[in-house]
Amino acid sequence: MSARGRVAAGLLVAGLALGGLATAGLPAFYESFLYIIFSWIALATSWSLLSGYAGYFSFGHGAFFGAGMYTTATLTTALGLPFLATLPVAGVLAAALGAGIGAVVFRVKRLRGELFGLLTLAVGFVLATIVLNTRIDGGPGVYLSAVPLPRLLSSPTGTLYLLGLALALATVAAAYVIAHSRLGLGLYAIHDDEDVAELEGVPTLSYKLIAFALSAGIAGVAGGIHAMYVSYVTVGETFSITVPLYVVLMSVLGGARHWLGPAVGATIIAASLYAFTGGQQAVLGRAAVAFVLILVILLLPEGVVPAALARWRRWRPHPLEIFTTAAVTPAPAAPAVALTCENVWRAFGGIQALRGVSLSVEPGEIVGLVGPNGSGKTTLINVVSGYYAADRGRVVLGAEVLTDRPAHEIAGLGVSRTHQIPRPFAHFTALDNVALAATFGATRLTPGQARAEARDWLEFTGLGRRAAALPHELNLHERKFLELARALAGRPRVILLDEVLSGLNPAEIAGAVRLIQEIRGRGVAVLFVEHLMRAVLELCDRVVVLNEGTVIATGSPHEAMRAERVVEVYLGKAHVVA
Amino acid sequence: MPSLTLLGQAVVSGLLAGGIYGLLALGLSLSWGLLRLVNLAHFALALLGAYLTYQLGTALHVAPWLAMLAIVPAFFVLGMGFHAVFTYFRVTEFTSLLVTFGVAVILESLIQWFWTADYRRYETAYATASIRVGPLFVPTLEMLACLTAAVLALATWAWLRFSYVGKALRASAEDPAIAAAFGVNHRRQAFLLSGVSAAYAGIAGTFIALISTLAPSQIWAWVGVVFAVVIIGGLANPIGALLAGLLIGVSESLTMAVVTPAWAPLVSFSVLILILIARPDRV
Amino acid sequence: MMISLRRLGCRGGLAALALLSFLTTAGAAPSGPPIRIGGTLALTGPLAPTALLHKIAGELYVEELNKGNGLLGRPVEWVLLDDQSKPDLTRSLYEKLITVDKVDLLMGPYATSGILAAMGVAQRYGKVFVHHSFGMPHLAKYEMHFPTAAFGFEPNVTLPTTVFNALAATANPPKTVAILTSKFPSAQFQSNGAREIAEKRGLKVVLYLEYEFGTRDWGALAARVKDAKADFLWVGALGLDGNQLLEAMKKLDYTPPRHFHLFPAPGPLALAPEGKLALSSTVFEEHPPFMSNPSAARLVPLYRERATKANVPYAYVDTQAAGSFAAWQLLEAAVTATKSLDDKALGQWLRANRVDTIIGKLRFDGPNNYGDDLFKVKQVQDGKWVVVWPREFAAPGARLLPP
Repeated sequence: MSARGRVAAGLLVAGLALGGLATAGLPAFYESFLYIIFSWIALATSWSLLSGYAGYFSFGHGAFFGAGMYTTATLTTALGLPFLATLPVAGVLAAALGAGIGAVVFRVKRLRGELFGLLTLAVGFVLATIVLNTRIDGGPGVYLSAVPLPRLLSSPTGTLYLLGLALALATVAAAYVIAHSRLGLGLYAIHDDEDVAELEGVPTLSYKLIAFALSAGIAGVAGGIHAMYVSYVTVGETFSITVPLYVVLMSVLGGARHWLGPAVGATIIAASLYAFTGGQQAVLGRAAVAFVLILVILLLPEGVVPAALARWRRWRPHPLEIFTTAAVTPAPAAPAVALTCENVWRAFGGIQALRGVSLSVEPGEIVGLVGPNGSGKTTLINVVSGYYAADRGRVVLGAEVLTDRPAHEIAGLGVSRTHQIPRPFAHFTALDNVALAATFGATRLTPGQARAEARDWLEFTGLGRRAAALPHELNLHERKFLELARALAGRPRVILLDEVLSGLNPAEIAGAVRLIQEIRGRGVAVLFVEHLMRAVLELCDRVVVLNEGTVIATGSPHEAMRAERVVEVYLGKAHVVA
Repeated sequence: MPSLTLLGQAVVSGLLAGGIYGLLALGLSLSWGLLRLVNLAHFALALLGAYLTYQLGTALHVAPWLAMLAIVPAFFVLGMGFHAVFTYFRVTEFTSLLVTFGVAVILESLIQWFWTADYRRYETAYATASIRVGPLFVPTLEMLACLTAAVLALATWAWLRFSYVGKALRASAEDPAIAAAFGVNHRRQAFLLSGVSAAYAGIAGTFIALISTLAPSQIWAWVGVVFAVVIIGGLANPIGALLAGLLIGVSESLTMAVVTPAWAPLVSFSVLILILIARPDRV
Repeated sequence: MMISLRRLGCRGGLAALALLSFLTTAGAAPSGPPIRIGGTLALTGPLAPTALLHKIAGELYVEELNKGNGLLGRPVEWVLLDDQSKPDLTRSLYEKLITVDKVDLLMGPYATSGILAAMGVAQRYGKVFVHHSFGMPHLAKYEMHFPTAAFGFEPNVTLPTTVFNALAATANPPKTVAILTSKFPSAQFQSNGAREIAEKRGLKVVLYLEYEFGTRDWGALAARVKDAKADFLWVGALGLDGNQLLEAMKKLDYTPPRHFHLFPAPGPLALAPEGKLALSSTVFEEHPPFMSNPSAARLVPLYRERATKANVPYAYVDTQAAGSFAAWQLLEAAVTATKSLDDKALGQWLRANRVDTIIGKLRFDGPNNYGDDLFKVKQVQDGKWVVVWPREFAAPGARLLPP
C-alpha cells in the first residue's frame, strides 16, 4: 500500500474507532476530555499550515478562533439560526478575515518574521476590543444555553464530541494532503527562502493567502463549535492569550513542519492540562508538567514526531518516498525565443543603477555581460527575473512583456537565474531543490515527474551521487552546480547565470564551461555574467560591457574587450593604447 | 471636550506607564535580538524580583533600593545559569519559546507555593506621593521607574554601540561565523548578556512591587503588550523599546481620557498596525 | 443495656438513654463509606486569589463535619479539583466528577463563568447544584440550582437601591454620581443598574465610564474622575481595580468624597491606606448581629486560625467565606433533613424550606430560585470592614461615616 493509502487508512480507522467510542456509552467526561483534545488538534494543525510550513509565525490564531465563536454566538442568539448552519458561516467569515489581513500584509516585503507575528497579535487585540465595545457582545457576554443542540448521539456532549472529531480528522487530513501537494511544496520553499521560491516559479502571494485563509477558516469553525461547548461566551475568556500561545507551543512540541506534529503536540499538552488537577497538588503539579515539557523539547528539539520518525528510519530504513505516477512524456519545450531589454532604467534612492540598458540574447546564443564591480550586472538580472521592477523601459521575451509581472509568472514563462552566492533551500535535499524548480518552472510537471526530471538534471551537472544530501553537506562547487541544475530543471528558454564560476578551481571551471556549452546546444538563450575573462572569451558569442549602468560596448568578445572605453574603465586611462 | 489639564495628565500618565513597558521590554529585546532567544520567562523573573522585594521589605524591613542591590547580582547569576542550560542543549529561537514558557510556569508555581495565590501589596509611605508640575501631578514612583528605564536604555545603547562587548554581541548576532573568525568569543559575551537581561528583569520587578499589587498570575498580563513594544521598537534596540513603550502608553492613556476607556487597546494597536504597514522600514 | 434500663425505672432509664446517646454522638466518629462531595475551584490562574478563601472555608467545614457526626453518620470527603480559572476546563471536570468519580453531591466552583459552565453539567445529570459566587441571577435557569450569593433576583435594582438608601440617610446625601465600571459581565450589569437607579432617584450622573477588564494604566481614568468632581463615586470594580484607581487618584491629590466598590478583593481594600471609608456590600461581617448566629460563633475563629496559618493577609470572614459556609450548610441541612443523598429529594426540600445559615435564613422560592436580597452596606473603618446599613445590621455604634 502506498504511503498515501496508509495514511488515509490510518485516519479512517482512527475516525471510526473514536467515533464508535462515542456510541459505546462512555462516561460523558471522556467525551468532553477528548473533545478538548480534538479542538486543540484542529487549532494547532491549522496554525501550522501557514506558520509551520511557510514559517510565517502568526500570533493571532486566537483572533480567528474568537471570530468563529462570536459568529456562532451572535447568529444563534440574535438571528435564531440553527447551530450547525452557523459553523460554515463561522469558517467562511474567519477565512475572509485571514484573507483580508493577508492581502494587505503579504504584499509588504518587510513584514516577515517577528513583524508578522506582531501584526497578527495586534489584530487579536483589535478584534477583541471591537467585540467588547459593540453590540456583538458589549460586555455582558453571550449566553447560549437556550440554543438547541442537535442530538447526533444520546448525550449533548456526544454531539460536540463528534463535531470535534470530524473537524480534527478533516484538519489533519488536509494537513497531510497539503504537505504532499504543490501547495505544500511551495510553502516549505517559502519557509526556507521566499525570494528564491518566487523566482523559481512559486506563486508566493497566492499560496500564502490560501494557507492563511484555510488556517483561519478552520480556527473559525473550531471556535463555532466551542461556543456551544462553553455555552457562555465572554470576551475575556475568548480572546485571552491562551489560544495564540498554546497553538505555537503545541506545534513546536510536536514538530511544526510535519503534518502530524501539531496533532501530537496538541494531544500531549491538552492531556497534561488534566494531570495533577487534584486539589492538593494543583500548584506543584503544574510545575511538574512544565518541567516534563521542558525536558521533552530540550531532548527532542525538532519536535516529537520528527524525532520519532528519525528513530524509526534508523531502525528500518527504506528508500526515499517518491510519488510515482504513470510515466508521462512532459509537454514539449516551448519554442525558443529571444530575450530583449529595451531601455531599462532602475534607481535605488539616489543611486541610478541602470541607465537605459538595451541588449538582446538570441536562442542558442551566449551573451556575456561584463563590467567592473557595481556596474549594474546583478541589478539587470534582478530586473529581468522580476525581483526588482524597472522604473522605465521594458523587458520582452519573444512576444511576452515581462516587466511589471510578478517574478513567479516570469519564471513560468521560462526565465531562470542562478545566484552569485548559491541560495539553495536549506531543508530540502539536492533532489528536492531541483524537483521544486521542475514542478513550478515552465514545464509544470507533477511531483513524481518532477523528481524524475530532477534526477536527470543532477546527473547532467555531475551531482547524481549527492541527490539525497542537504545543502549544508555540499561544498561550494557542488552548491554552485546545484544552483545550476535547479536553474535548468524548469526547462527555461532563457537562463541568467550570475558569476557561476567564481570560487571554482580550474578543473571545475572547465567542467562548468562544458556544461554551459551543452546548454547553449539545446537552444537556450544564455546571459552570462562573469569576471573570469578566459571563460568569457571562450564561451561568449557576444559581449555587452556595462559601466555605471550604461552599456559602453557590445560586439564579439575580442572586439568589445579591446574597445578604448572598456580598457579605460577596467585598467585606467594610462593603459589605453592609442 | 476634555480640558487641557486632563489631556496633559493623560499624557504624563501614559508616558510613565510606557516607561514601565519599556523597562520590561529592555531585557527581552536584548536577549531576543542578540541571542536569538525568545524569553517568556523574563516576565516570570520580573515578578519573582517583585515578590522578593516585597518579602525583603515586609519581613526584613529592607528598603527597596537595598533589595535591588541584592536582587540584581543574584538575578545576573540566575540569568547566566539559564543560559548555560540553553547553550548545553543548543536551544534555538524556535524551541526557546517552549522552553522559556515551561520555566515561566515553574516560576509561577514556585511563587504561588511560597506566597499563596492571594494578593500581596508592598505598602510604603511614598506609594502615592507625587510631584506637582503646574496643574499636573507626576507620581514619584512611576517617574523613578520611567527615569530608570530611560537611563538603562541609554546606557545599554551606548554599551552596545561603543564598547567592545557590545559590538562583539551585535556582530555575533548578525553573522556568528564571521564574528568568530574575527576573534569574538560569543560564548562569553552571550553569558554576560543573559546575566544583564535577567538583572534588568529584577530591576523591573522591584518597581512593579512598589507600584502594583502582586498575584502570581500577573506574569501573563504583561506578555501581549510588552511583546508588541519589543517588536515595534526593533529587536536589540534599547532606545527603540523605550520609545515604543512610551508610544503605546501615551496612545492608550489619551484614548482613555477622551473616549470610552474600553476602546484603548484598539487605538494603541491600530496605531501599531498602521506604523507597521505604512512605514515598516522605520522599524 | 435494655435490662438495666428496666431495672433503673423510667426516669433513670431516660437519663441513661440520654447519656448513652450523648456518648454515641459525641464520642463515635462517623463511620462507613465516605459521602463524596465533588467540586472545582480556581486553585491556579487569575481567579486564584479569591478562590483560595473558598478552599479554606470548604476544608474547614468538612473537617468540622467529620469531627461531629459527618453526614448521615458517614464521613464526608471533598473531592476538589483545580479548574485553573478556565470555564471549559470547569465543565469537563464536573463531568469527570459526576460520571467517572461518581461523587454523591456537588459543590459549585468560584465565579460566574465557571458556575454557568458547571451548572449546565449539573442540569444534564439532574444533580443539585449549590454555589456561592454567582453574579447574574437572570442567567441561572436550572431549577435545582441554589445560590448563596444572596443578591435577590434583581441585583441591578436592589443593590444600588440599598446603597443609595444608605447614602440618603446620612447628613449630607450626594447629589451627583460618577460611575466607573469594568466591562466584566456581572460588574457591568450591576453598574448599569446603578446608573438607572441613580437617575430615577433624581441624582445627576456626571460621568459614566466603562473600562476594559485588565486595564493597567489608571492615570487617565483617575484624572477624568477627579475632573468630574462628583459627590459619590460608584466603582464597578473587580478584584484590585478599586485599589489601583484610588491609588492613582491619590497621586493626583484627589480623594473621592464617597466611594462604593462592587466586587472588590476585600482584604487589600481594607488594608490599603487609600481604602479608608470605602463602601462595599456584604452578607456577613465579624460583628453583632451577625456573630450572634450560632454557626458564626463556631466557624469564625476556626477560619481566622486557618487563614492566618495559610498566610492570607486579611483573615476575617466576609462575604466570600461566609457565602461558602452557607453553601455547605445548605447541603448539610438538606441531607440531614431528607436523610438521603437523592438529588431530586434534596432539591425539592430546598425549594420548599428555609435554611438557617451563617448569613441568615435563606429561601429559594423566588424567580430562578432566588430569595431575599441579604446584602448590606459595609465600610472600611480603622482597617476593618464594618456594616453600616441597614441600621439593624450595623456594628454596635457604627454608622456610615462621612468623608
